[in-house]
Amino acid sequence: MIDNFKASFYQNFIEDDRWRYIVGGLGNTLKITLFAVVIGIALGFLVAVIRSTYEKTHGLKLLNFLCRIYLTVIRGTPVLIQLLIIYFVVFGSVKIDKVLVAVMAFGINSGAYVAEIFRSGIMSIDNGQFEAGRSLGFNYRQTMVYIVMPQAFKNVLPALCNEFIVLLKETSVAGYIAIQDLTKGADIIRSRTYSAFMPLIAAAIIYLVMVMIFTYFVQKLERRLRSSDH
Amino acid sequence: MTTNRNGEALIQVQHLGKSFGDLQVLKDINVDIYKGDVVCVIGPSGSGKSTFLRCLNRLEEPTAGKIFFENTDITDSKTDIDKHRQKMGMVFQQFNLFPHMTIMKNLTIAPMKLQGRSQREAEEEALRLLERVGLAERAKSYPSQLSGGQKQRIAIVRALCMKPDVMLFDEPTSALDPEMVGEVLNVMRTLAEQKMTMVVVTHEMGFAREVATRVMFMDEGYFMEENEPKEFFDNPKNERLKNFLGKVL
Repeated sequence: MIDNFKASFYQNFIEDDRWRYIVGGLGNTLKITLFAVVIGIALGFLVAVIRSTYEKTHGLKLLNFLCRIYLTVIRGTPVLIQLLIIYFVVFGSVKIDKVLVAVMAFGINSGAYVAEIFRSGIMSIDNGQFEAGRSLGFNYRQTMVYIVMPQAFKNVLPALCNEFIVLLKETSVAGYIAIQDLTKGADIIRSRTYSAFMPLIAAAIIYLVMVMIFTYFVQKLERRLRSSDH
Repeated sequence: MTTNRNGEALIQVQHLGKSFGDLQVLKDINVDIYKGDVVCVIGPSGSGKSTFLRCLNRLEEPTAGKIFFENTDITDSKTDIDKHRQKMGMVFQQFNLFPHMTIMKNLTIAPMKLQGRSQREAEEEALRLLERVGLAERAKSYPSQLSGGQKQRIAIVRALCMKPDVMLFDEPTSALDPEMVGEVLNVMRTLAEQKMTMVVVTHEMGFAREVATRVMFMDEGYFMEENEPKEFFDNPKNERLKNFLGKVL
């Protein structure tokens, strides 16, 4: 049985340097996730600021309306459909790097969820904090920047990290536009060797380990935030 | 009107009204507040006392009338209200200290960011005021490490650090345990002795009688009676006020 395992391992990863599919795929997965997170946070922050400004002051009506359309559409349709539409419809007639398309698609998708995380964080801060800032003479923006946001950010950090984990796993559908990410890489090995167990389990373990490492750091961070919770 | 009036009113409230939808909370408020006045506003809950106070620095937007502060119409939408709020300190029932900052930072952030004072200057001023309320050793603490009474004294100092011309108190002792009310009232009493102009919404009748220069009774969105404290408490004229004092005294 051990011999069997060894042979299968050799066939799936060593022969023809098939491990390269895994390593290369992992690289693409990380690249897409990382850049998408940056876009998602930037976009989400912007949308959250517009939405909470509207809720607090009834300003930015038009922008708020556009943001709500964005949130409804993005959160109401599967990320895979969004990816396919951006690749085949939006950039259908343009030659463009597929990884870039994936970064955009997942970034725009993640932004919608991050926006709601940030917004709930901002709205969770007691209005008395806001009023105390304004009563000292801070304007709306200063009150947000110095008083509300630092507290809100601390509150939403765990949820934000969770969104990162979700995103990491969601990028596994990138293969649909023929990107060789970790999932696709494993699947390519499966199609070459006709053995499904080894490559797919290997991919699953790699995802799992990444998530576990990240979760470990998030928990550590949460503990530190709690201990400095004044 | 019995109090001494020299010079012009610091705050003039003219026909102030405030409605929340169909609910008219303030109906026709007219009052002048002079430099050095300690005005205590009393009345049953829901009578509009807090709304009146919050209109003075436009935390609530008035729906009718005008408020002049240092001869500027602050209800005018062209007025930079942020500028005037720097001169109007406010103390809240719930303290509203900034929990993510140390006490020192709570006290210095506004003077530094808004009045361009240096950190050293702001911290020296903060320490001086902290000493006056007996909390200098808590400068490095966070708000959550303080008792309610300490928090409220810090909140008063935070407002004072901006060197305001008037202090607004919105039921400053209502959220405190009974044994902590005294320490906060003492700080306010000291402020009054130093001739700070104060508008205090309160349920502390003893404080009003002892410290106020004027006491006003608000009910149903109007000021129903105003007098100097002795006359106000010993010889009330308005029926509702008699009724109210009968319940609380």
